[in-house]
Amino acid sequence: MIRRNGFTDETLEWRSWLEPLRIADASPLQLEVLDESHAQSRTSPYYLTLAHQPLMLRHRSAAYNAIMYAPGGLPRAERELGAMVVSVTNGCVYCTSVHAQRFEQLAKRSDTVEQVFDDPASAGTSERERAIARFAIAVTRRPKELGADDIAPLRAVGMNDEEIIDLLHAVAIFGWANRLMQNLGEPADATIS
Amino acid sequence: MPALDVPDNDVIDRAAGLAPGDALHTARRFRAKVVEATQASHDALLEQPVEGLSTADRLRVALHVSTLAGANSLAQHYEARLGADVARDALPSAALPAMLDFAAALTTDPRAGDRAAIEALRRAGLGDPAIVALAQLVAFLSYQLRVVAGLNAMRASRGGKP
Repeated sequence: MIRRNGFTDETLEWRSWLEPLRIADASPLQLEVLDESHAQSRTSPYYLTLAHQPLMLRHRSAAYNAIMYAPGGLPRAERELGAMVVSVTNGCVYCTSVHAQRFEQLAKRSDTVEQVFDDPASAGTSERERAIARFAIAVTRRPKELGADDIAPLRAVGMNDEEIIDLLHAVAIFGWANRLMQNLGEPADATIS
Repeated sequence: MPALDVPDNDVIDRAAGLAPGDALHTARRFRAKVVEATQASHDALLEQPVEGLSTADRLRVALHVSTLAGANSLAQHYEARLGADVARDALPSAALPAMLDFAAALTTDPRAGDRAAIEALRRAGLGDPAIVALAQLVAFLSYQLRVVAGLNAMRASRGGKP
């Protein structure tokens, strides 16, 4: 278990500031979209909140699941590293906890997680991880100024176009996910709720 | 469902200046599902009927967000869509100023969100389903403008060739 700088890799709960859909009131379409979005979405306040707009949730989930889980391309642990760095940079404690856990499960180690919680800008146990973390911060903080100099370090550690696009997608979609988590509700300690 | 090889139908291709046959256009299709779901998100976020949230007001929000973020090619896209919207001359909703405030705060600093911002939208007359639609739209725009910026950077790293 890692706790640093207000971030943790422990399991947190999330509380909605809106009225989540009650499953008893859900339409057939809402149930279908919940089930295709996430295995536990019928009991998740986050998914039940987003289910107020089922078609918007359907396409978001299709994009998210293809970006984070599709085989081939950038190794999944590296997509999770990108997601975790963005979440720390945006201050999303809940998203950070989830993706720190996913990184640890996929990479079978937690040294990088400690480094990201301490300082994402210098984090990484290899040149490749450091390049991923810096790119994730650049895309998050200064999208308008992105240029060839931000791509060169990724090429230098051996990434091809497809892997760079995988990383770009993983980093960009956490610009989306963090904003929903941080603006429609807040994390709650699992032991309290 | 738009055909994936028609560049005019894909907003990100157009905003990043990618056409079929370009190396980056082809590389994007390595994740055809992502391309398709991104475009379908854009369409649903703008066009799905939502009580209290017109398509024209959503386009005004999208134009405001992309202008604020300096995403010029996307700003042009949303401006053109707004110019072609059947309801462009109808008065914006009285809730539009609150929507634009929410969108601007969310775009520039995701930490800016708090319960008070949600209450401001409710006071302006938005129901929870409309607030979910608005938040999804604004959060999506942060994703979309970063994908376009990243593709532009990749193009620059290839000496400008798409």
